[in-house]
Amino acid sequence: MSRFLHPGLVIGSLLVLAVLGAAIFAPLIAPFDPAQQDLLAPLAPAAWQHGGSLAHLFGTDTLGRDVLSRVIYASRAAVLVAVLAAAGAGLIGSLLALAAGYLGGWVDRLVRCAVDVWLAFPPVVLSLLLIAGLGAGVVKVVLAIALVDWVRFCDELLGGVSAAAQSERTAAARLLGFSHLRTVMLDVLPAVLPLMASLFVFEMGAAVAVAAVLSFLGFGLGAHQITWGQMIAVGRLAVFEAPWNLLAPVVAIIATVAGCNMAGGGLRRALDVGRRRA
Amino acid sequence: MSLLMIRDLTVTAPTGQRGDADRVRVLRGISLSLDRGMVLGVVGESGAGKSLLGRVIAGQLPPGFAMAAGRVDFSRRNILALTPGARRAMLGREIAFIPQDPRAALNPVRTIFSQLREHFAHLGLPRHQHRARAIEVLADVQLPDPADLLGRFPHQLSAGMCQRVLIAMAFASRPLLLVADEPAAALDAAAQRQTLELIAAQRRRAGTAVLFITHDLRRVAGFCDRLAVLYAGAVVEEGAAAAVMSRPLHPYTRALELATPSLATRRGLVVLPGHQPGLAALGRASGCRFAPRCPVRSAGCAEREIPLIGDDRRVACQYPERTSRIAPAPPPPPYRVGSGEVLLQVDGLGRRLRAGGVLRGRVTAVLEDVSFKLREGEFLGIVGESGSGKSTLARLIVGLDRPTTGRIALAGADVTKGDGAARRIRLANLQMVFPDPDSALNPRRRIGSIVAQALEAARRPAVEREAVAADLMRAMGLDPALVARLPGQLSRGQRQRVSIARALAARPRLLVADDVVSGLDVSTQAQLLALLARLRASGIALVFISHDLAVVRHLCDRVIVMQQGRIVEAGETERVFTDPQAEHTRALLAAAPPDIGPPATTLLAIPPPAG
Repeated sequence: MSRFLHPGLVIGSLLVLAVLGAAIFAPLIAPFDPAQQDLLAPLAPAAWQHGGSLAHLFGTDTLGRDVLSRVIYASRAAVLVAVLAAAGAGLIGSLLALAAGYLGGWVDRLVRCAVDVWLAFPPVVLSLLLIAGLGAGVVKVVLAIALVDWVRFCDELLGGVSAAAQSERTAAARLLGFSHLRTVMLDVLPAVLPLMASLFVFEMGAAVAVAAVLSFLGFGLGAHQITWGQMIAVGRLAVFEAPWNLLAPVVAIIATVAGCNMAGGGLRRALDVGRRRA
Repeated sequence: MSLLMIRDLTVTAPTGQRGDADRVRVLRGISLSLDRGMVLGVVGESGAGKSLLGRVIAGQLPPGFAMAAGRVDFSRRNILALTPGARRAMLGREIAFIPQDPRAALNPVRTIFSQLREHFAHLGLPRHQHRARAIEVLADVQLPDPADLLGRFPHQLSAGMCQRVLIAMAFASRPLLLVADEPAAALDAAAQRQTLELIAAQRRRAGTAVLFITHDLRRVAGFCDRLAVLYAGAVVEEGAAAAVMSRPLHPYTRALELATPSLATRRGLVVLPGHQPGLAALGRASGCRFAPRCPVRSAGCAEREIPLIGDDRRVACQYPERTSRIAPAPPPPPYRVGSGEVLLQVDGLGRRLRAGGVLRGRVTAVLEDVSFKLREGEFLGIVGESGSGKSTLARLIVGLDRPTTGRIALAGADVTKGDGAARRIRLANLQMVFPDPDSALNPRRRIGSIVAQALEAARRPAVEREAVAADLMRAMGLDPALVARLPGQLSRGQRQRVSIARALAARPRLLVADDVVSGLDVSTQAQLLALLARLRASGIALVFISHDLAVVRHLCDRVIVMQQGRIVEAGETERVFTDPQAEHTRALLAAAPPDIGPPATTLLAIPPPAG
């Protein structure tokens, strides 16, 4: 198991787990109700700044709400979008890759062509276009990300799927009487599963970043949902009075995305994706 | 003093079981010497440690391996004590290497010329002479149109041509010593022979001594002055090549010889039990490492280590006089031709492939007008060089590919179309064993589950699957306890047997075996051939595809010889081998490695061992 003790994987997993924990146990961890206003103490500075107090670690926002509590609660939206969007993108991308790689022929050419077209667009711009058409809401944001990022899965998985599909063990499975579906499930899918797992973790990070951009621009999850992007949008206005209104969600986003990337990269190495033991 | 002196060389490796503390000796007290301009063949099966010898000389032991004792002197210098700089200056100039896989040794993104230049620069040749010298060395190895070749990339050359480029590079400095590690293993018979002849011619010109590392005794026999036979990390026999070949003193050498199929006659093969100890087993072994498999061992053999004794002719055996008592196996049952109903009939089979784009694509025929019949219980061999269409034919028969023209009938039913009905007929009648067990076995599945895959496909209950798997494991000579292992934990020979067991689990009447014994060691190959021969009793028919003519002669009743997608000769094995009609058959026979050892007739006179 020592191959899983790579520093990147350990640190990344700890970060991801921390965010996950914050999301699940938000009511227990957060010192305040994130919606509780204290109009007498707006824009309080962070605890270590002049005039700050330990009651509000990162200070308060324009309406006197506790920034720390809001950052913690906003992780719920981030995790929800990250998991759903990564699952959606993974599902679409993997199905298309499996179909293209296993069936080959014109299906393969069609999918590869779609991948090339999709890759030609800057992903965030494509998501923006989509969300502009779809409107706000959790499902819409997840769709806007999944319909763009499936291509990451598809592109990376295609090679592994076609190698597995053309291997002798797949031919043997067919000759032994397995149906196409069972052959794919037993001999093709397991070969790319480790790669899929690492791509999933990567994609969660990407989804967090894109979701933040979308909600920063106002295409959020809905007015009552607290998100990091929306906090940045609001905190930006008071950046000189109370910089931690802006910095706290920024740090949260960076930590989450970096954590996902480190964990995904570490997973990739640990599972030896793409390399085989001699 | 000799050019190369290896004395008491011992290399250790971690077994990986109890951390770094647990080390085994993978080379044990190797002492060999090689005189100027001579050729020393180091023969051994995979895992014997023969490649480590070359790596010690190159100073490139695999990670974790360490020199524990011994010294290596090359023209009076201890090369293990050289500074890295001095060693680099010596390697490639005085000592040249020819690697096993020519394609892997060349950089795919650089032209041949740029790689030659790098080598010339290392040799200190002035820049303006590079082009002329490059053309000269490429012409020396008989590469056509060397000037044109310089601008090409390795992928534009065949494997044989890449190997020639490397040979040219190796001899460019007129080295004193050449270390050639299986230089022809990746090539087909004709290219193998050419490569060896080329090395022989070049080394005579340059007066180079050669350390020739190989697993194929037949290939090197005529080429070496001296032979050293390695088993489990130690030299078991060493001497003048002719003497070792004609009168082996160590039981292992003799067994190797008797396990090798012959091209000239059809003889039985001696099958040694078990296999060479692996890393973990080496640590536990004591005494003579060959004793557990030795047909003439005594109780005392396993007790103490036997040193290599003798002067010009050295052997590590207490009872070398017993070696000649190892008898050849009884001759195999006679060929069986003619009777039985026709199981497989192929008529005018052709397969064309479109290469290149839609507009500028060319259509090439990989198979053309192939017709033959196979009767129940018959073993049919299909031979030919790589690219002759053998494997395409196999894929068409089993339905992994569809023919462009022609017709395939299996058990009286037309299966050409490959629809649902054809699939059912194939499922009931035929199975295939693939050439590469690494690719054919799912690395994440347990052996037991792999063997019973056919029953899993038919959705049979787990109890039945386990019972069948255990039975087949025993029938294949494998320990039924291996069912819990993964393919990566088995040897290549064991994996190939698992692959065969899996095909047999479907109870086929026809087995198509594509190149299943190539790349296996001689003793493993003999085990596998014995296994296939035993299938005769069950009345199964076999299509056996191979490029090793001697193996086909040993196993098959009838032979089809293919060239460029066509059948050039077909007939009963004995007739084709003793009286070949087609030009190509004669060429193949001429390119095949010669038999080793004395003629079989004299061997038959030796009485079988007592007790």
